[in-house]
Amino acid sequence: MDLYNLGKVPWDDSQLIYHALADLGREGLILLSPASPYVCIGFHQNVEQEVDLAFCRQSGIPVFRREVGGGAVYLDGGQLFFQLVLRADNPLLPAAREAFYRKFLEPVVGIYRRLGIPAEYKPINDVVVGARKISGSGVGEIGAGVVFVGNLIVDFNHEMMARVLKVPDEKFRDKVHKTLVGNLATIRRELGDAAAAEWTEERLNALMIDAFASLLGPFETAAVDTELRSRADALRSRMLSDDWLVQRRGRGAGRDIRIRAGLHLLHRVHKARGGLLRADYELTEGRLSGVSISGDFFCYPPDAVRLLEAGLEGRRPQDVREVARNLSVRRAIEIPGVNEDDWAVLLA
Amino acid sequence: MDIEGYTIPENLYYDKDHYWVRPEGELLCMGMNDFAQKLAGKIVFVQLPEPGKRLDAGKRFAKVESGKWLGKINAPVDGELADVNEELEGNPGLINEECYGKGWMYKIRPDNMADLANLIHGAEPIRSWMLEEIKKFAK
Repeated sequence: MDLYNLGKVPWDDSQLIYHALADLGREGLILLSPASPYVCIGFHQNVEQEVDLAFCRQSGIPVFRREVGGGAVYLDGGQLFFQLVLRADNPLLPAAREAFYRKFLEPVVGIYRRLGIPAEYKPINDVVVGARKISGSGVGEIGAGVVFVGNLIVDFNHEMMARVLKVPDEKFRDKVHKTLVGNLATIRRELGDAAAAEWTEERLNALMIDAFASLLGPFETAAVDTELRSRADALRSRMLSDDWLVQRRGRGAGRDIRIRAGLHLLHRVHKARGGLLRADYELTEGRLSGVSISGDFFCYPPDAVRLLEAGLEGRRPQDVREVARNLSVRRAIEIPGVNEDDWAVLLA
Repeated sequence: MDIEGYTIPENLYYDKDHYWVRPEGELLCMGMNDFAQKLAGKIVFVQLPEPGKRLDAGKRFAKVESGKWLGKINAPVDGELADVNEELEGNPGLINEECYGKGWMYKIRPDNMADLANLIHGAEPIRSWMLEEIKKFAK
């Protein structure tokens, strides 16, 4: 299989080359890292809903929509990308998705362990150290190919990640930042500055080549040839256009930021008969925590919202209706025009 | 019928990618079968192209995402996209909840209704195909 070990590349090439390789029906492993930062959103996302475009524009940070699953991410040279492009009929591809992720994330887990970081695979597609995520990945079926992209995270700019996202208010942004810091691991953080500095980009890429070769067989070094370059350039004119970036998706009833598998930060809005309800909360392994409710509704007694927030702590979204019903009976809570179904919809 | 825990109605037609097709007058209704929706997990996005789009059998016309996997949806027959299930725009999880009912995805005006013969249909063909698929996906 062809190996494109490209080092630092212009930010747009770090996305366009694998799209082009898949589009051409060719296979290969691409290793590269962007020379400058950018924001990359998933195919299914509304860019205006996910990204603070004004901030990105002012800061000269480009935004790109990839043809791969997953959400918005801030990418820069502190992350080393692997991009594996296989034809859909390649017998190396397991049919089931979990088997696919497990198989192709095994090299990543192995590399971190070689570095002395006790990484583990966590279904469906995370690599974690304890409860913290240390590699992101996603898949896109492009042309006749299946593209698996992911990264080794040497360093991560949590502050910029929290800054480029569109959030309802600065309090929520602060929460995003703290949750990212608490739940994302990096090589630098795990090994310390001195030990991490010894693992240069070249050495880490050499480990990736070895690890992926054990799954895919020996590689032949390849360069970006004319055919690949012209396809990438052709894709550039489409994928860097505003028409491609700004595509309306879904209904946009709030924000759901996936920090890692099993941990989401959510902002939800629901219009009940009695007024607008808003909730900011974490969903950790299917349990609600830190629920903060606001809106333009009336309630009695005055601490009704606080009682509801406390009652929801540690409960599952499917228990919300029962919690709201019990509170309204036991504590005589009255919120005109808002019933237990509204709370269930808000926190579904 | 139940095939090893998957509900696969025998009166429907299926393509090899696990999408079902049901004739409804001059149109064909299409959706994801129970096997595919269970394997996919929570569906977070379904692309709903504009009706009128030309469809070629076996060629991609839309995308679907679950588990950070953006997959292709191929047309089961030649024809034209007649309608899409708008409900899926706000609630793609309907496919997980009711894949043969409220979670239907597209309606197609086929060029030739006889193309249904190219799909998998009938109790025995469906059963043997599904058993093979279950074996393949267990690897």
